[in-house]
Amino acid sequence: MRLLLLFLLAAAALSLNAAGKVQSVAADLGSVKIIRLKTLTAQMKYNENEISVRPGEKVKIVFENGDDLPHNLVFCQPGTDTMTMAMKQMEKPEEALKRQWLPDDKRIWLHSKMLNPHEKEELIFTAPEKPGDYPYVCTFPGHALTMNGKLKVIPMGQGLKDLKFALFLGNWKMLPDFSKLKPHREGVVPNHLIDIKLDDYKNEFGVVFTGKIHAPRKGSYRFYIAGDDGVRLLIDGKKVVEYDGIHPAGTIKEEAVQLTEGDHELRYEYFQAGGQIAVFAAWKGANFDITPLSSWRPAGWEKGAKAKKKAEYAPIPIVVAAEPVIYRNFIQGAGNRAIGVGYPGGINIAWSAESMNLALLWKGAFMDASLHWNSRGGGYQSPMGYDVLKPTGEVTPAFFIAEKPDAVWPVWDKTKRYEGFVWKGYTLDAKRSPTFRYTWQGVEIEESFSASGDGNKPGGHPTLVRRIQIKGDLPANSWCRFGVGAFERKDGRFLAKGALPYSIVAEGALIAGQNLVIPAKLGTLTITYQWAQ
Amino acid sequence: MKHFSLCLAFGLPLMAADPVESDFYKITTFETPKETAMEVGAIDLLPDGRLIMGTRRGEIWTVSGAGSSDPSAVSYKLFASGLHEVLGIAYNPKDKNIYATTRYEITRLQDVDGDGRADVFDNVSDAWGVSGDYHEYAIGSRFDKAGDLWVTLCLTGSFSSVTPFRGWALRIKPDGTMVPTCSGIRSPGGLGFDAEGEVYYADNQGPWHGSCTLQHLVPGSFQGHPGGNEWYALAPNMGGRPIDPSPENYQGDNKRREARQGGDPGRMVKERQRIKQLLPPAVYLVHGKIGNSASAIICDTSAGKFGPFMNQLFIADQSHSNLSRVFLETVNGIKQGVVFPFRLGFASGLIGGRMDGEGRIFTGGSDRGWGARGGKPYCFEKCEWTGKTPFEVHEMRAKPDGFELTFTQPIDPKTAGDLKSYSMREFTYAYREAYGGDEIDEILPTIIAAEVGAEGQSVRLKISPLTKGHIHELHFEGVRNRAGHPLLHTVGYYTLNEIPAK
Repeated sequence: MRLLLLFLLAAAALSLNAAGKVQSVAADLGSVKIIRLKTLTAQMKYNENEISVRPGEKVKIVFENGDDLPHNLVFCQPGTDTMTMAMKQMEKPEEALKRQWLPDDKRIWLHSKMLNPHEKEELIFTAPEKPGDYPYVCTFPGHALTMNGKLKVIPMGQGLKDLKFALFLGNWKMLPDFSKLKPHREGVVPNHLIDIKLDDYKNEFGVVFTGKIHAPRKGSYRFYIAGDDGVRLLIDGKKVVEYDGIHPAGTIKEEAVQLTEGDHELRYEYFQAGGQIAVFAAWKGANFDITPLSSWRPAGWEKGAKAKKKAEYAPIPIVVAAEPVIYRNFIQGAGNRAIGVGYPGGINIAWSAESMNLALLWKGAFMDASLHWNSRGGGYQSPMGYDVLKPTGEVTPAFFIAEKPDAVWPVWDKTKRYEGFVWKGYTLDAKRSPTFRYTWQGVEIEESFSASGDGNKPGGHPTLVRRIQIKGDLPANSWCRFGVGAFERKDGRFLAKGALPYSIVAEGALIAGQNLVIPAKLGTLTITYQWAQ
Repeated sequence: MKHFSLCLAFGLPLMAADPVESDFYKITTFETPKETAMEVGAIDLLPDGRLIMGTRRGEIWTVSGAGSSDPSAVSYKLFASGLHEVLGIAYNPKDKNIYATTRYEITRLQDVDGDGRADVFDNVSDAWGVSGDYHEYAIGSRFDKAGDLWVTLCLTGSFSSVTPFRGWALRIKPDGTMVPTCSGIRSPGGLGFDAEGEVYYADNQGPWHGSCTLQHLVPGSFQGHPGGNEWYALAPNMGGRPIDPSPENYQGDNKRREARQGGDPGRMVKERQRIKQLLPPAVYLVHGKIGNSASAIICDTSAGKFGPFMNQLFIADQSHSNLSRVFLETVNGIKQGVVFPFRLGFASGLIGGRMDGEGRIFTGGSDRGWGARGGKPYCFEKCEWTGKTPFEVHEMRAKPDGFELTFTQPIDPKTAGDLKSYSMREFTYAYREAYGGDEIDEILPTIIAAEVGAEGQSVRLKISPLTKGHIHELHFEGVRNRAGHPLLHTVGYYTLNEIPAK
């Protein structure tokens, strides 16, 4: 039965092109996927919180407990609330201890023993047939909150059809407009995988691949490319992602695009200057995993462009205890002059001293400094917590002058500073919470924040109150914009609609087009942000 | 046994071991707080004898008891944290506040409630750009003789500058005004003053730099790397933008990593004549031999408490975990001089350093990102004179026909006057866009004469030819002092930008 299912699934993953030839992008049916899962020393975490396998795939997990505490690895059915499951056994701790803290729960379909420090165990199994997210967790008392992850069972997608190529000769530093050039020769690519197989040219040429790709349903699809040298991918004539210029092929770029159900035209443009030749393309959909569309794949391609940002270092969490903690560094989403502040109670903000505005607010853990405090320390680090809100555009100021407050907001131009804004610094109050100081149009403005509730647990009602004190007379038609996007006014609050719902309360505020604004004048504006429960 | 006592009786020296650096300068490594990594970026002195120290992790600590002869007497208190990388720190005696140079801002910190922790963080100046590239370090100085702060800004990467004033030295006036001061900076590692208050910075080997260098920051000068020159458009006070170095000095194609065909025609000595603002490096800190990554510049202002090298400069190195010693002079209006090895053996890469009034050099740093010979990931140390004077070349001055050396102790006239005690080679580096470069254009001159001075503590070497623009590497292995001891260090590298007329 299983073999039949496997065959059917494999058949579903194949597709036929017009010539009746079969192209396969399914996993080799005989091989075993080996995954190494470890516990991180002195942190209550596994080294991976997400692993992917194919439906019905043969898997071997090598589980190693490198920590100084006992840990196990327990796999549950999709939708299992693993924390509650792990906590429930505390009702009868003596029995749980006899079972080595393995919950007596039918939703568990695979588990390791409780491993002592430095013990290892191999779990060999066949992945479930049904795609989904199967949570895994450590059920030792108190560990489940952070020691968890998900096993994504997800098939591969389909490949390209009707793949053709056109070869062009030329010496370029950037991708040329191939539509204006005459190809040197053209042909088909029989195995429908993007690849450069030229016996006669090694340098100074370009290739354009065209083919069809089938989107199984309407939705968002992510395309990944890499190349040596420049590459660009277009769907239905529109550019989706590109990485132009002369460079080696290690970096993967990705972008998402909305597609309707059905066939779409894919066009992959490439040029070679000199030296190495490499082309890579892949795509991913909501219901299938990253699937290569080329023969060659760079190292780490399975994780897409995020492969490079994957943490190589042990985390260095900036811990927030009794008083707020400040972290100024490159915070993802908060520009180049970011000031992170972690408040006690798991509520955090990132302020931009470039736009003089609140850039981000989030719940839970504050920041992980390991990216910045290891090696050369470059790059942007995302907040360590979760439910990150970006009420306004990236690195854009709150204050503006306009007759109509529904003016479209500027997009951050990295080559310019914002005129009229002067950054003055910050002052810590008795509780060591910062008040940010700046001037706009010569008027002094101070902003302070206070956090209440608990962002570290569900139901904690985390709330951030922002007070903007304007200490002088502003020009006429001054506004403070503190929200962008779709807001709905309801019961005296403004509800932000979208994947991460939250609400804002601000007296005197109004919706103006895509903006949430208050008329700005001498006095104090108070804005309260709350995450949806 | 009998032989031993006879020797003592006659007062003859025993076959003592050759002198080693630790006989004369002692390094003490301090324990630092376990809750952090004390990656020292900059150090300054507080009037009560404490130190104020900034780190790469954006912390500022006050340090007490570091001068004590008992290293365990040191204690630390956290003054501030969360800053974006502190590579410059200065105590301002006028307002009694601490000024920290961070990546894109000079911040004034005040402890208003007197609890030992900073409460007020004022932006003194944020007038230069920041792009997010990791390479854009900002090295800050102490207050100079005019009451200004200097900051030298690394380029974006090694070749170019994508945001205003990266690749420049700026001065910040007491009122916060920013004055563009010098262009042509590549990758500064340290910034400091000589005994007269002239300002210098250390640049790193890379494009347009065959080696690390010590460079004199003269307002209005172009220090060599053209990568940031587009910002002359924002600096009308600097006058016209310098012409670029000759096209053949550039790499084959700026975007490719091709070496230019046909060799390296560019030389600093030639381009100086074409590019009028171009100031040659005062001293080449010869690559691989003195260090690989020059950093802190520390002047001995202790009037003798650090040994015989008053007013000379000590240059730290982040890669070699060492200190080197520089003697400078001015010839035809240009600063130039000699670098000698001084002390190896620090525990990590050195980044920040400062000498206190008692002649103690406090220094520290980290090896993070580029590695260091010291072996430890970070360190905080001090270097003190043991009281014993080493036998070293004290000063080396250029003369129209050679060099004059003075020594720290009376020399043995026989060895010091013997031509065979010395050897010299001259070389230079290409002034070109390609990264770094070999020692080239080697010349082996003849040492014609070695005249010992009447006071018995100097030698005048007559050498031919002398080559303007070359580094003159002098070995003096054969020289002995009156007690028959060899020199502690037997090489010096003199950068001969100008040959004096007399």
